[in-house]
Amino acid sequence: MAERMSALAQNPPSVWRRLDPAAALGRLSETRYWMYLLLVPSAILILAVVLYPTVYGFQLSFRQMRLNRPDLGTGFVGFKHYIAMWHDKVFWLSLRNTAVWVTFAVIIEFGLGLVAALALNRNLPGTKIMGVLILLPFFLPNVVAGHMWALLLDPRLGVINDILVRVGILDTYKAWFADPSTALGAAILVEAWHGFPFFALLLLAGLKGVPDDLYKAASVDGAGPIRQLRLITLPMLRSVIAAAVILRVIGLVNSPDLLLILTGGGPGQSTQVLSLYAFQKAYKDFNFGYAGALSVVMFVLLMLFAWAYVRVSKVNQD
Amino acid sequence: MITTSRRARLGWNIATYAVLITLTIFCIFPLVWTLLTSLKYEADIVTQTMQYIPKRITFDNYVAIWTQSGFPTLVFNSFVVTATTVVLCLITGTLAAYSFSRFHYPGRGALMLGYLVIRMFPAVLMIIPLFILMRGIGLLDSRFGLALAYTSFLLPLFVWMLKGFFDAAPKELESAARIDGCTRLGAMIRIVLPLARNGLVATSVFVAIAAWNEFLFALMLTTSQGSRTWPVGLQLMVGEFQLPWGVLAAGGIISIIPVMILFAIVQRTMVHGITAGAVKG
Repeated sequence: MAERMSALAQNPPSVWRRLDPAAALGRLSETRYWMYLLLVPSAILILAVVLYPTVYGFQLSFRQMRLNRPDLGTGFVGFKHYIAMWHDKVFWLSLRNTAVWVTFAVIIEFGLGLVAALALNRNLPGTKIMGVLILLPFFLPNVVAGHMWALLLDPRLGVINDILVRVGILDTYKAWFADPSTALGAAILVEAWHGFPFFALLLLAGLKGVPDDLYKAASVDGAGPIRQLRLITLPMLRSVIAAAVILRVIGLVNSPDLLLILTGGGPGQSTQVLSLYAFQKAYKDFNFGYAGALSVVMFVLLMLFAWAYVRVSKVNQD
Repeated sequence: MITTSRRARLGWNIATYAVLITLTIFCIFPLVWTLLTSLKYEADIVTQTMQYIPKRITFDNYVAIWTQSGFPTLVFNSFVVTATTVVLCLITGTLAAYSFSRFHYPGRGALMLGYLVIRMFPAVLMIIPLFILMRGIGLLDSRFGLALAYTSFLLPLFVWMLKGFFDAAPKELESAARIDGCTRLGAMIRIVLPLARNGLVATSVFVAIAAWNEFLFALMLTTSQGSRTWPVGLQLMVGEFQLPWGVLAAGGIISIIPVMILFAIVQRTMVHGITAGAVKG
């Protein structure tokens, strides 16, 4: 194929030139629209499977659509869903839970990730394998991660309960996910386990880009490791940290997977977050209009956050 | 740190090892415990006193999950969906990444940003219309439809990661090929793609792992045994049949084996690809 193509390119018989699709594509690649043509297949896919559904979703949030009650029709209802949301206690609760869930998960994951990255960046002998093992949770599926931790924290068979009782921290086994006061905290622990390697990964890559000279100069000036971290490492990592935080917040706000598997929003609504609430409205109640409105609000809030965050981290830079 | 004393340095080294060992245990303990659970008899799991090291080992749980449920079908479906997703990404994403990497043209930056912004769209906002649309054109509950949905949110990642690998491939060989009479297409296929081979593999593996693990879209867009993937199947089994812990653990271990193998093989290149974009930008 390859030989034939080059042969054709050098000495193209007139008939083949018109019929051979490879040669035709080759000629097409010499036109000045080639760079745009290369984008066409992926752009079509993205338009059809992302952009069109998203626009449709926005539109849906202003319409009545219940798959299980087609008699209600699909009429235009204006801001009905948004007004209903304003009076929906569960919406406000899940908004609050989303804020708690995202804030604490990001803080813990960033903390653990930074510690891991700093430790790995010292390149001590034998730590390479640990670097690989530490990254592993990030690549494991939510379903397995969720059930692993459900087993570890099980109220009857959980090994974590057993250890805590043996050490003397707990008196009896605790039903972490059944108690509204601990359910969200336990879920955040699982999420931290799953997500902190992402921070470790990005921060470690960022650390490798910090010039050694800076540290040498600082230690000549008598700055200890803590001050070096505060005055050199963190400022040098600012853009990496900003990128990592944004990506992680987007991921945490948008994906209800782990909570869906661990608690399903319960007990009560104590672990209900916006994305999960919207998903359940669609998946369980088939109330597509309201679910659409919930996800639109979520999307707008996320955009506002991203915009504000980027602005703030830029302002600091000047 | 040239002036820090040897004692201080020793202290930091010990602290470093302590931190890393603690984090490593934190990371792999759940995995180890799941593996141990999958090898225990149910009677040894549900006991009064916890067995840390199993006194006897059995593979019954693995036999049970593999033969008594539709697990092989689920795994096969996942395999088909994952392979289809990777092929779709490879065909469309490679071209786009090449365009972004090798050409400079008006609108390029905006287009690249556009590909990235797509990642911000909430899955839930897309899932509902996708459900309606796919039901309309008969792609609901089909493996191809699911792969199409996966491609939509994995393609931007694929393009960005692969662009990094293409950027790293030297341009001189390509120019030489062009001077020798190669078309742009020929130079891309015969020079650039082989040069970026490792990057192609690592990027594909990254997408494959994500598709293999995906849960939410699969839950919404598949409804029958014919196209259901393993994460959904496993989750439904837990709900419907009160799956015993040992069997559930065995199912989990079986389904993460492919992930671990792929991760182990291309871990270095993949990690490089994931981080390159974020650090530069």
